[in-house]
Amino acid sequence: MRVSVIGVGTRQGDDAAGLEVAESLARRALPPGTRVATCERPLPDLLDLLAEADAAVLVDAARGSPDAVRRVERAELLRSPATSSHGFGVAEVIALAEALGRAPRRLELVAVAGATAIEAGAALVEDLVRGLAAERR
Amino acid sequence: MAERRGGDDSGSVRVIPVGALARVEGEGALHLVVDEGGRVAELRLQIYEPPRFFEAFSRGRRADEIPDLMARICGICPVAYQMSAVHALEAAFGVAIDPAVRALRRLYYAGEWIESHLLHMTFLAAPDFLGLDDALQIARLERAEVERTLRLRKLGNRILILLGGRSVNPVGVRIGGFHRVPRPAELAELGDELRRARGEAEALLRWFGSLPVPSRPQAVELVALRHPSEYPMNEGRVVSSRGLDVAADAFEETFEELQVPHSTALHSRLRRDGGTYMVGPLARVALNADRLAPAAAAAYDALGQRFERPDPAASVFARGIEVLQAIDEAIAAIDGFEPPSTEPAWAPRAGVGRAATEAPRGLLFVAIETDAEGLVQRLRIVPPTSQNQRQIETDLRALAPSALGLAEDRLRRVCEAAIRDYDPCISCATHFLTLTVERRAAPCA
Repeated sequence: MRVSVIGVGTRQGDDAAGLEVAESLARRALPPGTRVATCERPLPDLLDLLAEADAAVLVDAARGSPDAVRRVERAELLRSPATSSHGFGVAEVIALAEALGRAPRRLELVAVAGATAIEAGAALVEDLVRGLAAERR
Repeated sequence: MAERRGGDDSGSVRVIPVGALARVEGEGALHLVVDEGGRVAELRLQIYEPPRFFEAFSRGRRADEIPDLMARICGICPVAYQMSAVHALEAAFGVAIDPAVRALRRLYYAGEWIESHLLHMTFLAAPDFLGLDDALQIARLERAEVERTLRLRKLGNRILILLGGRSVNPVGVRIGGFHRVPRPAELAELGDELRRARGEAEALLRWFGSLPVPSRPQAVELVALRHPSEYPMNEGRVVSSRGLDVAADAFEETFEELQVPHSTALHSRLRRDGGTYMVGPLARVALNADRLAPAAAAAYDALGQRFERPDPAASVFARGIEVLQAIDEAIAAIDGFEPPSTEPAWAPRAGVGRAATEAPRGLLFVAIETDAEGLVQRLRIVPPTSQNQRQIETDLRALAPSALGLAEDRLRRVCEAAIRDYDPCISCATHFLTLTVERRAAPCA
């Protein structure tokens, strides 16, 4: 049983927020067995990271007020228009992982809107990781 | 599906928006106007993606910045842009590359072909052949083939990371070579996996051979590179199925680009007769079948009748053949690997360099002019999707009359599938394609 923190994004401007939250998490004392990873390419990297996790907290940049941090529901993610090359963004890869039976049993999604929200995002992700880790016991 | 009735001087016009074309890269629309007699009056592949000005903002940049900048043009085919640009720069500066670098570039390009072709075949095209809406349905119904595709694609991804440093916006290419040469042990491990992958790629192509892939042969001029002894990737003459045979340097004298009102991407045509042409895997395979490695050649022979006449719908098979070819190209580059014996060295000078290489989607031409300090004075990029635009319109114009009687949803699917045969990468050429059909009815009495 493993909890993974997966930061998604690119190194371009505010899109790096998810990666930076994951990097902040990597510097914290987390429950034993917690894995922290970053992913710049949903297919194939995110698919593999999801397959390897029993529970995951996925954090990505999102549009919003600069300091906004929030949990995102799956349904909301699936309603958002695809913006990635050839339509394979985060939402599509999560759906693909589910279709292939490779999705984690528990998946939490966190959206972080920019560089001023990194620490708040990391605190929320840490809370979610601790909650999931405790749930397993 | 919405329907709206409007009117103009000629009578009533039916505008039927039939949704967005998914599974293509970039933003565009297809507009069909049908006249009173049920004939296609107008057909426009509208590309409205904003231009990104890569050619303009590269002016004044140092030549050594160009390979990294070019990788930003496309998330799917960064290698192609890097390769055409770096070869053009090497031509401008008179740099002769080490044979070992040349072999590694073939390996690098093979990685991109593997990734790009497999994405298109299973995730973008296969749903069309099975009457499904998207790749998720394929994943549920054909899980083994999707898993196979993902395993194979990962090898392409690993090649990109090995030579490009990363798979997104790779940064490994430099004028004269690579920033880092892989270690023999890294290559040997990859070689073993590629050898095991060949059977998987053959099985995947056999699966595609079992699917009801449509047939749409037509009189189209196919254009690709051709090399004296190799399957074309990084060099060769520009040849066509109608006898064209010119040096890549003569590309600009042979083809011309023109602006059309309905597209932010330039159209291309032959200067010879203004004719449209098709680039891409179908053209490469058709014009270079005698250059295929044994496994790819055997697959080509098995699919022989699909290549007797140019048929854009057979492009998916050409991609499968090229996946096999790329696997064997990669194995050959790894087995024959020797570290480059010379350090990449170059000095800036005023010059003009031109190069054509074969992107997954087809021939990609780049011309670069530099000043004495090596600063870029002019950059011209002619991407494959831009070259294919007129042919896509020609193809649809031929296809539409037989499809206009179909229900709107079916008509949309047929047109989308035909466009997807070209695997257009609209962002490269300039995200989603909307199809509108305007039916002009005779005025009511």
